[in-house]
Amino acid sequence: MSRKIALGAFLHPSGHHVAAWRHPDARADAGINIRNYIRLAQLAEAASFDLVFLADQIAVPSSNLDYVSRTTRATYFEPLTLIAAIAAATQRIGLVATVSTSFNRPYNMARYIASIDHISGGRAGWNLVTSGSELEGENFGLGDDYRLHANRYRQAAEFAEAVRGLWDSFEDGAVADDRAAGRYLDEGRVHALHHRGEHYRVKGPLSQPRSPQGQPVLVQAGSSPAGRDLAARSAELVFTAQPTLAQAQEFYADVKARAVGFGRAPDDILILPGVFPVVGRSHDEAQEKFATLQNLITPEVGREYLSLHLGGIDLSGYSDDDPVPEVEVGERGHVSRPLLLLQKARSRNLTIRDLYLEIAGARGHWQIVGTPAAIADQLEAYFTQGGADGFNIMPPSPTGLDDFVELVLPELRRRGLIRDQYDAHTLRGHLGLKIPANRFAAATARPREQALA
Amino acid sequence: MTRIVSSSARMSLGLFLMGAGHHIAAWRLPDAPQGAATSFDHYREIAKAAEAAKFDMVFLADSASIREFGHASIGSDERAVRLEPLTLLSALSVATDRIGLVATASTTYNEPFNLARRFASLDLLSGGRAGWNLVTTSNAEDGPNYSLDAHPPHAERYARAEEFEQVVRGLWHSWQGGDAFPIDKAAGRLFNPDSLHPLAHRGRHFSVRGPLGVPPSPQGHPVIVQAGASDAGREIAARSAEVIFAAHQNFDDAFQFYQDVKRRMARHGRAPDSLRIMPGVSPYIGRTRAEAQAAFDELQALVTHEVGLKLLQPFAGGLDLRDHNPDGPLPDLPPTKDAIGRQKLLVDLARRENLSIRELYLHIAGARGHWQLVGTASDIADQLEHYFRNGAADGFNIMPPALPRSLGPITELLLPELRRRELFRDDYTGATLREHLGLPRPDLPAFPQSAA
Repeated sequence: MSRKIALGAFLHPSGHHVAAWRHPDARADAGINIRNYIRLAQLAEAASFDLVFLADQIAVPSSNLDYVSRTTRATYFEPLTLIAAIAAATQRIGLVATVSTSFNRPYNMARYIASIDHISGGRAGWNLVTSGSELEGENFGLGDDYRLHANRYRQAAEFAEAVRGLWDSFEDGAVADDRAAGRYLDEGRVHALHHRGEHYRVKGPLSQPRSPQGQPVLVQAGSSPAGRDLAARSAELVFTAQPTLAQAQEFYADVKARAVGFGRAPDDILILPGVFPVVGRSHDEAQEKFATLQNLITPEVGREYLSLHLGGIDLSGYSDDDPVPEVEVGERGHVSRPLLLLQKARSRNLTIRDLYLEIAGARGHWQIVGTPAAIADQLEAYFTQGGADGFNIMPPSPTGLDDFVELVLPELRRRGLIRDQYDAHTLRGHLGLKIPANRFAAATARPREQALA
Repeated sequence: MTRIVSSSARMSLGLFLMGAGHHIAAWRLPDAPQGAATSFDHYREIAKAAEAAKFDMVFLADSASIREFGHASIGSDERAVRLEPLTLLSALSVATDRIGLVATASTTYNEPFNLARRFASLDLLSGGRAGWNLVTTSNAEDGPNYSLDAHPPHAERYARAEEFEQVVRGLWHSWQGGDAFPIDKAAGRLFNPDSLHPLAHRGRHFSVRGPLGVPPSPQGHPVIVQAGASDAGREIAARSAEVIFAAHQNFDDAFQFYQDVKRRMARHGRAPDSLRIMPGVSPYIGRTRAEAQAAFDELQALVTHEVGLKLLQPFAGGLDLRDHNPDGPLPDLPPTKDAIGRQKLLVDLARRENLSIRELYLHIAGARGHWQLVGTASDIADQLEHYFRNGAADGFNIMPPALPRSLGPITELLLPELRRRELFRDDYTGATLREHLGLPRPDLPAFPQSAA
């Protein structure tokens, strides 16, 4: 089987554009209407997408409530509950929810994701992120130091290790279900983890067997050096913002090389840049669709949106026509995205207005406005020239996913770049990822082999 | 304070879901589904049957460890395996339209912001059908899964639970005012910023800024359910619970509990009707008494000694019951730190009925200390009616001994008998869990349902 593009459908209430909720096609309740999400997930499933993807933010994103009230950012579902609901309305598509390690506990996280994996018959993935905003920390009584970049990633690495260990609690065949003998479990195949680390102690075992895909797929989204290392060590899918081919190639080569450095095969980790595609039957139609969205941005929203994406800096002393000011990206909070945006502003001498208009759709992700053929050309270039194993598609507007499915997918299919239909039932199966060996089974198997020799 | 019940008053009924059934040996029945405890299809079929039978709610318990792992044999117990309730109910919300969805979640090993948000989200997913059964974790074995060597003592857990509940409720009240959601696309205004309020909670256990970015549901916020029987548990329930899931062995205990909690409510300025007390009951129903007894005996015969002792062990206060003659009397038990109310229930039962260790575990194998009834639909309806009409219950949380096997007798024999007596609804009249239970809706704005 030739290599195929992996596709995620990254769902946002009415679309990723910050003003999409004002679009004539948008429903104001899209973020809290399960029928909206089911429609989108079923649309993606009918098109054989590998997965749907949900982001998260564990706070109303700004203390400027006037700004927030002009967005959908205070009216949306929590991702674990939403993805579980989507599981019940779909049969084949993978289900990836973002949950932060900063405010959760490994045992609870392992349970939530493993439950979704069972409910969906082996279709779950967890996008592991660390949190970096003050407002999120303040919902959990955490002081400013929780945002220290280095700490967050060390803690996240340990968190991931504990969760994966818990997911191995049951060896295959541990549920004996021997009714005649009254033996439900083969106790010798159920294992406590006894994790003792710098941040967590977790005894285990987890009260769930392994799912049909062995373990949920571990996704990671950090792009800083620490994020890359964490991904290279433990992630199986990386979601990343890579707006140019050259950047994407550098990131791709670097993460795969790091993975090899951790003793993994390059194919054990797939890299999916985000793509914000505005599709038109003609170039003009695409431009028109984009302009419709851009015209719905008000300066109040644009400025605050930019401020938040630059790490919460104060832009009140500047006009929209001023150049983007110098910003220190510190050791607290998010790092990669502010750096990416500042670099963009410097290299092209952007004003504040230029930059907020530029990020209003894709938030620094790769943005393509064009015809199906033009978009397919660019995706193909990333895919065949060492920039991507697939893409997380970020529909701009309420009908953005419909446009992509209807117009771009046939073009990709014609070129033999995507599959015609599912040939597997689990998320791992779709992505071609191996079922991880159970660490306890491996440990107990060795002495047995020796005994035989 | 016994009450005269008008003809329109109806029992509230929950269906308490549990893998292959509440009886500890139910998984051994030949018709038990394989892997019931982790099978979504199994839970979906039961939830749909419960909805077709017009139950107020389905209910899920929870545990954050495998009980007795490393201490006693876990091999004969299906309950070593379970799905996480919030995710399971979220999935069930899509498979059902009307029935309430109540999940247990512990305040001991969670954070209030996370639980407030996840339950509010479930409430919106389901169109206002969510409930949260607030418990503290009594099982000391959960601690080591959360970096703790020592399990927090009872008083400390309840102090945390109390503040936890206040924070969650506060977050659920983040949105206020009648004009909270103008939804003006032309002006670019989705909600009224003056309607969204940070909580700014600073307490002994938690510091939580808020607000919560999940709007209120059609029922306002999730129904708060509680299950504690201790003094501290009753006090929290009287102040804040809207449903109590209680465990009683007989009418007198149920009556006293009911009257005590409703009295305590008055001290907190609450109307007695704003709380529904629903004892758990596990019914073995037959067309004849002999048939009911046979259904019970079939399950009891499947209880192994090993699993029986494991049932008692959490309440033994550290005493290893394997060292005692199973056919001798229950020895005096050292006090337990973790499950005071439950231990007392068990010891009282053993003393009152002069039960041996084996008899005691067989006694609770079906319903873990909850009330158990064996008889015809008419026998069981008599008992439930007696409790309901005489100030001991507002309804019941029904614990089917075997799933799906017990559903037939419950829906085809017991419910028709209750309906004949006008004790249970023929059909839903409301859309939300609060409406099913007859509970007041909190004064919270709702996001317009058909917003374009």
